[in-house]
Amino acid sequence: MKLLTHASALALVASAGLGLAGKAQAWSLEEAAKPYAGTELEVLFLDRPGYAAAIKMLPEFEAATGIKVNHTTVPYENALGEQVRDFVAGGDLDIALIDLVWIGNFAENGWIEPIETFTANADLADPDLDMADFFPLVVNAFGGWNGTIYGLPFDNYSGLMFYNSCMLKDAGFDKPPETWADLKDVYGPALTKDGKYAFALQSKRNETQSADSFARMLWPFGGSFLNAEFKSNLMSPESQAGLTFRQDLMQYMPEGIVAYDHSETVNALAQGDVAMITEWSAFYSTLASPETSKLGDCLAVAPEPMGPAGRKPALGGFSLAVATQADDAEKAAGWLFIQWVTSKANAGKYLELGGVPARQSAYADPALAATYKFIPALVESWKDGVPEFRPRFAEWPAITEIVQEWGTKMMLGEVSVEEGAKTIGEKMEAVLAEAGYYDGKKPLAQ
Amino acid sequence: MTTRVRRRTIAAFLGPAVAALALVGIAPLLYAVWKSLHYFNLTKLAQERYVGLDNYAAVLTDAVFWQAMGRTATLFAIAVPVQIALGLTIALVLHRPGLTFWKTLTRLSLVLPMATTYAVVGLLAQVMLNQKYGVFNQMLGWVGIDAINFIGDPTNAFIAVILWDIWQWTPFVALVLLAGLSTVPPEIEEAATLETRSNWTVLRFVQLPYLVPSLVAVLILRTADTLKLFDMPFTMTRGGPGAATEFIAVLIERVGNRQFDIGMAAAQSIIMLALTIVLARLYIRLFYREVR
Repeated sequence: MKLLTHASALALVASAGLGLAGKAQAWSLEEAAKPYAGTELEVLFLDRPGYAAAIKMLPEFEAATGIKVNHTTVPYENALGEQVRDFVAGGDLDIALIDLVWIGNFAENGWIEPIETFTANADLADPDLDMADFFPLVVNAFGGWNGTIYGLPFDNYSGLMFYNSCMLKDAGFDKPPETWADLKDVYGPALTKDGKYAFALQSKRNETQSADSFARMLWPFGGSFLNAEFKSNLMSPESQAGLTFRQDLMQYMPEGIVAYDHSETVNALAQGDVAMITEWSAFYSTLASPETSKLGDCLAVAPEPMGPAGRKPALGGFSLAVATQADDAEKAAGWLFIQWVTSKANAGKYLELGGVPARQSAYADPALAATYKFIPALVESWKDGVPEFRPRFAEWPAITEIVQEWGTKMMLGEVSVEEGAKTIGEKMEAVLAEAGYYDGKKPLAQ
Repeated sequence: MTTRVRRRTIAAFLGPAVAALALVGIAPLLYAVWKSLHYFNLTKLAQERYVGLDNYAAVLTDAVFWQAMGRTATLFAIAVPVQIALGLTIALVLHRPGLTFWKTLTRLSLVLPMATTYAVVGLLAQVMLNQKYGVFNQMLGWVGIDAINFIGDPTNAFIAVILWDIWQWTPFVALVLLAGLSTVPPEIEEAATLETRSNWTVLRFVQLPYLVPSLVAVLILRTADTLKLFDMPFTMTRGGPGAATEFIAVLIERVGNRQFDIGMAAAQSIIMLALTIVLARLYIRLFYREVR
């Protein structure tokens, strides 16, 4: 840290000495932050590796700028509600933490500032911001709404296949399944024995059910939630094929899979109880750490398997955006923090500390790919991802509740795949009709 | 001799309590009633509008609401009689003379489940009932019983919530009934035990009449507690799997805090409040009469 502080001081002196150079060259975080020293920022964080990494980086930012970042850690399930209530009540939050499915909601309610407000201000915009360096899919899906960018990608996920290469090897496989069909028909029977299971698909009744379980089986099979007219597409042969596949695949999953959230699923792989999982890239550090995983060198990572429609891996993640309710100083300070924590310069450190940056440049170094096994699979996945993996409009909170309830009932066999999909479709269309999508009051935003 | 107290003095004593109650109890209730008459969604504030009784009509014709009510009623119908039976047994044992030290120790330990935060009780259940690593399944394994999927199976999860509720609230019932037993005059108990050797007869004709106020209090409090049971099932099962443990309070939280439909959640809450009041009045009318 001392070394970093000295480096910052040297940079400050150096930039002061180059005062005659152009304004872009003279820009430094320390100078830009001077008017806002002493400003305190409020932001919500999650209890996940990407946030732990950011928290470790905060002292450097605070020392360089005099801006204090107060973070409150909440469970994912509470993060949306906490922020909605804060924004409706005109509360304290200065920075919004936005899951990709919340962006439409936050943008349409006017709770977040477009980044142009800050990038157009030469005093605040880092000349090295380099928006083109972010993976385009990620910046558009996590931070963009209706052609406007509001947030910068911060905690970035793609669905990956994590697997126990030793278990696969013992069963006679030298590589993971290429397709979902192989996983079910070839790997499933061979790896499900002696109290161990081939696969675990986290399916707990919360966002995990709708995002990680239900949606994951729609897209690779050519299905989707909605068609071009915003009507339910869940009864299409492709969607039905995907959902039926999920039902068939359950025979190779642990009993009670509908009670598995991320932690149970990651733990099942980490403890050697299942051979393969499809989980967010963010859990790499949990699976790689000897403190939380028995896998050791057996841990291997691959892109998610392909379906008839291609790979279409799960896409999820968060951006950080400046809240409109903040005052001017807080807005400026908030932008400086967001810009700094997602910067090219910090991407390597963020990665090293357990985060997953969305900077293409961070993954260009081949040595990094050797150190972090998930990098090649992640980069490949972000090329094949679907921004609308889950609809990102303001009605998603209502729709996800419907999917969670009926998706779980399907898995439990309380309703058939067809009945469940039909019910979800009808209820989903009722929500969209109420919102005004079918009578032209609202544009079909995606 | 009676002393006439000035109205101003009465107002001075009662005023702060009434004002505090109005501020923290009545005002939010009236606000909830007002909001229940509106379409009021936190993420669609621009669409807020007066809808009259539409929210109430929607709630009363919503199958999901009645299913949650049914689950809550089932929980109540199973858990509360068991709690009363076990609580009464414990109270009667503790009411017997002798073994003072052990009875004191038991009374103290009875406070522990009640003193544990509801949410923590649910989290404990989630860990202890884990199919793979939970202590319960480990103990079942010692006697050769296969691990039970407590949380991931709808029926097992519902039973687990009932058992957990019984564990947490039986001590409360026991302590209330023990207090009720202490109101029985000792000379009457002694006289009764001289007349009959049947403990049941003593309980039925001597002790039970004195226990009626305690039982009514238990019924009212447990009814209200069951209707608002949220923290424990929320942290234990989150209403799942499926909707197996989505009790009425869990449903209201979902509608209000996850769908942000505050108007609808307010209507559900007002209906639940009305139901609680009706049940409380019913208990008092049915059971409390004879000792008034």
